[in-house]
Amino acid sequence: MKEAFLLGNGAIALGLLEGGCQVVTSYPGTPSSEILPEIVRFVKSENLKTYTEWSTNEKVALDNAYAAAVSGKRAACCMKQVGLNVAADSLMSAAYMGTTGALVIVSCDDPGPHSSQTEQDTRLMARLAKVPVLDPSNPREAREMARLALDLSQKFKIPVILRPGIRVCHARQNFSWNAFSVRGKSAVFEKNPARWAATPRFRFLLHRELNEKLAQISKKFDRLKGVNEHNLTKNTKYPLGIVAGGVPYSVVKDLFAESRREDIPILKLGAPYPFPERLAKQFLRACKKVLVLEETDTVIEYFLRDRKKVLGRLSGHVPSEGELLPDVIARVLNHVLEDLGIAPMTVSGNPEVQELVKNLNLPVRKPTLCPGCPHRASFFAIRKVQPKAIFTSDIGCYTLGLNLGGVDTCLDMGAGITMASGFYQAFAQDGVEQPIVATMGDSTFFHSGTAGLLNAVYNGARFILVLLDNDTTAMTGMQPTPALGIRADGSTGKAIPLERVVAGCGVDFIEVVDPYDIKTMTTLLKKAKAHVASPDGGIAVIIARHPCVIAYRDRAIPEKIPVTVTDECDECGFCHQRFECPALVPDAEIGHTTVNKSICADCGVCTQICPKGAIVGA
Amino acid sequence: MNTINFVLSGLGGQGILFLTRVLAQCALDKGIPVLGAETHGMAQRGGSVVSHLRTGDVESSLVREGTAHFLLALEENEAYRNLAVLAEKGTLCVNASGNPFPKNSVRPYLEKMKIQSRALPVGKIALQLNAPLAANSGLLGVFAALENAPFAKADIRATIARLSPKRFQALNLKVFDTCLEKASAV
Repeated sequence: MKEAFLLGNGAIALGLLEGGCQVVTSYPGTPSSEILPEIVRFVKSENLKTYTEWSTNEKVALDNAYAAAVSGKRAACCMKQVGLNVAADSLMSAAYMGTTGALVIVSCDDPGPHSSQTEQDTRLMARLAKVPVLDPSNPREAREMARLALDLSQKFKIPVILRPGIRVCHARQNFSWNAFSVRGKSAVFEKNPARWAATPRFRFLLHRELNEKLAQISKKFDRLKGVNEHNLTKNTKYPLGIVAGGVPYSVVKDLFAESRREDIPILKLGAPYPFPERLAKQFLRACKKVLVLEETDTVIEYFLRDRKKVLGRLSGHVPSEGELLPDVIARVLNHVLEDLGIAPMTVSGNPEVQELVKNLNLPVRKPTLCPGCPHRASFFAIRKVQPKAIFTSDIGCYTLGLNLGGVDTCLDMGAGITMASGFYQAFAQDGVEQPIVATMGDSTFFHSGTAGLLNAVYNGARFILVLLDNDTTAMTGMQPTPALGIRADGSTGKAIPLERVVAGCGVDFIEVVDPYDIKTMTTLLKKAKAHVASPDGGIAVIIARHPCVIAYRDRAIPEKIPVTVTDECDECGFCHQRFECPALVPDAEIGHTTVNKSICADCGVCTQICPKGAIVGA
Repeated sequence: MNTINFVLSGLGGQGILFLTRVLAQCALDKGIPVLGAETHGMAQRGGSVVSHLRTGDVESSLVREGTAHFLLALEENEAYRNLAVLAEKGTLCVNASGNPFPKNSVRPYLEKMKIQSRALPVGKIALQLNAPLAANSGLLGVFAALENAPFAKADIRATIARLSPKRFQALNLKVFDTCLEKASAV
C-alpha cells in the first residue's frame, strides 16, 4: 500500500485513474491546474499507459477527450469553471450525442472568487447542458466521485461533470492506495451518422433520448448512498432541516459535530442534478422549514419549489456573493435558528477582535508582478511610448500590469486582441485615431488569440499588440506552451514559434525584442506606432521575449546586476508608480527609496528607468 | 480524536506551503489524519497567504474564527490580520521584525483571551545564517520550543530534514536549531 498527503486535485487524479481513465486532457486554470500534472505523476509512478495532453484551450480539451469517449474509452478533461464557458459549445452537443465509453468533465469552481473573473456555478452549466453533476465536499469524496462519475457516464452513455470547489481542489488530505492498473477497451468507432453527425431532425430524437436518460439517473440519485442521503429519524417532525451539497456540507457537518447538535437533520446532495425529487420530497415532508446551503448559486434552492418552506438566497438568508466560509455559515445558521426560536449554537470567537484589527490599518497587500518579471519592463516601455493609449489586456500574471497603469481592460481569454479591434472600430467610426496597445501572454495567445487577430487583420483594425512571451503559462503554475514544444508528460513535441503563427494571421509588422533592453523595446514601439499610423500600415505585433524569472531563474537573469539607490533620489515616486517593483521601497529612515535586498532579483532593469539616474549598479 | 487547528500566515514566497507540509507530516507520522487548505494562483504573487491545517477526524478544511489552537505567522502584520482565528488560550508564534510585539493596542486583547505569544526575529536570524529563505524553518524552531507543542522537537527536526530539498537541508536545520535554542532560552 502507498500513502501520500495529496492535494484535492491529486485525489481527483487518483480517482480518475483508479476508475480506469485512459485519456486525460486539460487547459490550466486555477483551481484546476494541478489535476493533469498529478495524473502525469501517477502515470509514471504506477506505470500506466494513460494518454495525457495540455490542450491549447478547454474546447480543444473537451473535443479531444470526447473523441476517445465515443471510441469506447474512458476519458476526462479538466478545466476551471470559466474554461467550461469556452468548452460550452462542445458540452451542449456532446450531451445530446452521448458516449460509448465514458467522459468526465472536471470543472473547478472558485467561490470568493480567489483567482477568477466570476463566481459562476458549474452546476448551472450542468443543468443547461442536461448532464449529471457530482459535487464533492472534500478531497476524500472527490476521489470516490471521480470513479463514480466515470461509471455513471459509461452506464448511461452520457457526459458527467465533476464539480469540485476551490476548497476541495486546494485542500490536502492523507490518502492511501493499492497498486492498480488502467485496463480499458481498445478504440472502436462505430459509424452512425444519425448520432455522431446528427442533423436537426435527429437532434430532436437525441434530445428525447437524453431526457429519458436523465429521468433514469434522477431515480438512481434518489438512492445513491453516501452521496445523496439524509439522517432523518422515522416518524419524527423537525422545525428545521438543512439541505447542503459540496463544501458547505462538510462545514455544516463539522459545525454540528463540534456543537453536538443532533436536533437538526441534514439532507446531503452530492449529486444535485438530475434532481433527486423523491428523496428531497421525503426530507421536506419531515421538516417545517429547510435552509439550503450551496455554492455559489441557487440550484438546489430552485429545485425545492416550496418558497414558503425553503430558506436560502432567494429568501435573503444566505449571501448571494462570496464564499460560504465556515464563519459565514455559522452566522447564517444562528440567524435562522434565532428566527425560528430554536436554541442557537455557541459560536466561539470574540466579536471585538474584528474592530481591533480594522483599527490597526494593516497594509493592503495587493498581488504584484515578481521582482525581475520581464512584463514589468514591457509595461514600462509601453507607457513611455504610448501614454495616452487604451490598454487592452488579458488573463495571466500580466493582468497585474494594472498596478503600473498598463492595463485598462481584462474581459476574458483573448479579449486583449478582440477588444483592441473593437475599440479601434468604435473610435474610427467617429473619425478619431485612438491609440490602442493590446497585451497578451504567449499561452493566452495560443488559447484564443488567433481567431481575434485574424479578425482584426481582416477587418482593417489598427493597434499595437505586444505578446508577452515568457516561455510558460506562469500564473497557473508553469505549464508548457506549444511554443516551448514540451508536452504534458515531459516528452518533446513539435515547437510552434509565435512569430510563425502571427505571420500566418496576416500581420506584416512583426518584431522580436528582449524587454529587459528597455531602450530597444522603446525604439521598436515607436516604429510600431509609426506603422499603425501610416497609410499602408496596419496592426503591429511586438513579441517581447524573456523567460519567466520564477520558471527559469538562471536563464532569466544570466548576469546578476545588484543595484543601489544613490542620494540623487529625491523620492519623486516615479519608479513606484511606473515600475512598481516590490524590491524598490521608500525608506523613511534614509529619506529616499532603497532596495530590499532580500527580494531583489538583481535583474538590473531598474537602472534604466530613474529620471534622476539615482538607481545604479552597486 | 481531539482536533487541533493550525493557521499559518505570511506573504507569497515566504514558504508557507513548506511550513504546512512539515506540520502535516508530523501529525501523519503519529497516525493522525490531516486535512488542510492552501492558497494557490494569483494570491501567491506577493499577496497575503494563509494556510489552514486541521488534525483529527474532520470533514472540512477551513479553521473558523476563534477556533485555532496555533497561529504561526511569518510576518507581523499577517499575524495581526489573522488574529481573529485564535481560540481562547491559543498560541501565537511570530517572526518579529524588531518592533515590540505585540503592539500596545493589541496586548489587552491577547491578555483577555489568555493567548500566549512568542516572537522571535527568525527572518533576521535566517539572513544572518545566510539562509534568507529559511525563515519558515526558524518559525518551526519557535513552535518546537513551546511547552504545549503537540509534536516532539526531534520529530519536527527529523521531518524538516526529510522534506527539505537536499541543497537547503543543512541550512534549514541550522536555522531551526538556532531559533529553537533562542526561543527555549526566552
